[in-house]
Amino acid sequence: MSAHATAAAHAHAEDHVPTMWERLPWMAAALGFLGCLAGYVFEGPKNFAHAYLVAFMFFLSLGLGAFFLVVIHHLFDAYWSVPTRRFLEHLACLLPWMALFFLPIGLLSGDLYYWMNVDPAKDHSLAVKQVLFNKATWGVASAALFGIWWLWTHRLRGWSLRQDETGAAECTTAMRRWAASGIFVFAFSLTAAAIFWMKSLEHQFFSTMYGVYYFAGSVWMTLATAYAIALLLRRSGRVPMMGQEQFHSLAKLLFAFTVFYAYIHFSQYFLIWNAAMPEETFWYAKREQGTWAIVGWVIILGHFVLPFLVLLRIDAKLSTKVVIPIFVWVWLMHHLDLQFNIMPLVQPEGPAFLISTLGALLFIGGLLAALFLWDLRRHPAFPLKDPRMGEVVRH
Amino acid sequence: MSRAHGILAEYPTPAAAMAAAVRVRDAGYSRWDVHTPFPVHGMDEAMGLKNSPVGWFTFLGGLSGYTGGMLMIWFMNAYHYDIVVGGKPLFSGFYAFPVCYELTILLGAFGSILGMLILNRLPRWHHPLLSNLRFAQVTHDKFFLVIECDDVKYDEARARALLQAGADHIEMVEDD
Repeated sequence: MSAHATAAAHAHAEDHVPTMWERLPWMAAALGFLGCLAGYVFEGPKNFAHAYLVAFMFFLSLGLGAFFLVVIHHLFDAYWSVPTRRFLEHLACLLPWMALFFLPIGLLSGDLYYWMNVDPAKDHSLAVKQVLFNKATWGVASAALFGIWWLWTHRLRGWSLRQDETGAAECTTAMRRWAASGIFVFAFSLTAAAIFWMKSLEHQFFSTMYGVYYFAGSVWMTLATAYAIALLLRRSGRVPMMGQEQFHSLAKLLFAFTVFYAYIHFSQYFLIWNAAMPEETFWYAKREQGTWAIVGWVIILGHFVLPFLVLLRIDAKLSTKVVIPIFVWVWLMHHLDLQFNIMPLVQPEGPAFLISTLGALLFIGGLLAALFLWDLRRHPAFPLKDPRMGEVVRH
Repeated sequence: MSRAHGILAEYPTPAAAMAAAVRVRDAGYSRWDVHTPFPVHGMDEAMGLKNSPVGWFTFLGGLSGYTGGMLMIWFMNAYHYDIVVGGKPLFSGFYAFPVCYELTILLGAFGSILGMLILNRLPRWHHPLLSNLRFAQVTHDKFFLVIECDDVKYDEARARALLQAGADHIEMVEDD
């Protein structure tokens, strides 16, 4: 059956006529590119760079979250997640492509990272953090992160695809090895990315929770996306064993990360509020100016309270009428959360609409969607010969 | 004076008990139960059991823990005996939160246990099934289905006919 399915998948990829849905990402990317150009010209490089960084960190979340889910699938030796693993591997393999989208950030780094234009001798907070915050370290670390992500995500998917052909148990062993090292690589690389690209926008700030804060939001957003993709794959009939167990488990994880995010963000705020030290409080004080104070409340109620109450019930977790609006909401909230982190630097009075914001989202999102669909087309839609597939079908 | 508690059917296999459960479910009985030595996958659906309402007790317990905690801290620190700590406001949801969070979990757990006891009509001293000698095999290798006499649909002859297929033995259970 599986050899036949592989051949069918290949044949399917060769004489493929793109449908409207497959052209859509390219059209979005083209439109987004024009939006980015317009934003750069009319809104200025500084505004554009910050709005673009929000979109970049937004889609980076998706790759990192998928990388995490693939790794924990192997570490926990779970059977329920076998049907979801292949598309998560594809999402994780988008990470090295993010290097391409990083170019504008590298080129405009002077507009983004204030400390790059400051003499450390005249700024004590920069002088003490100079080990980390200097142009050479920033550049080398940024390049190394993409290299690391390329290696791990492609090894994990490579062994998975090899198992489709051979069905050998050694592939599972190899994936477990990459996952065991991968969990450490994931934790350190995600934290480094969050610190170098987002937290260093305000180099004076201290928070030991910052990496895990970005992690919590990233996996949250990835789980909603994964649920949506799993629904589409079941509707298309390409992954017939995708069923209630997969949807229920994904929704339970989404619920868990709703709580985890709230726990992390509250802890960060609570510690800073309680200690009341100026080198930490300035970060939140800045985010209580103008309409940013309202955004803070929208994040508390919309990022936590609303999805928490809605996803509490088991029937809600399985109802497409409930979860589909929640996915859209999760994307909006994660984007708003990243705006809350990045945009006060250029919009101190409160969030305002920028063409750059929409342009960057469409540009990066469109190209990533096209890449993802291409991966989905040219490979089997689920791990064909995974040793645990029998359990998935039986349960 | 002894009174009938219900009708008890003994089955040799999980499959026979499950088939009987499906028949009893479809006949529309409400006061009945299946007893097995180990959990049987699919029995919940075969019996037509819905998601347990215990969650509502948990939710109400958690909610009262959270609001009760907030009220308590506000009353003690900001109303009844004002204390200024570290130049912070007399009351704030932020410093009160960790305690209220713990209370949410504590009362949520109490709510779950209480809800479980109430819904199972526990505690009670005795249950008629426990003095039935045959029923003792439920912890060993037999599968039982009991329809209680106070079920509105209960009729001995009809219940007996419904339980017959696949059963090793059928008898009445006395409540003494």
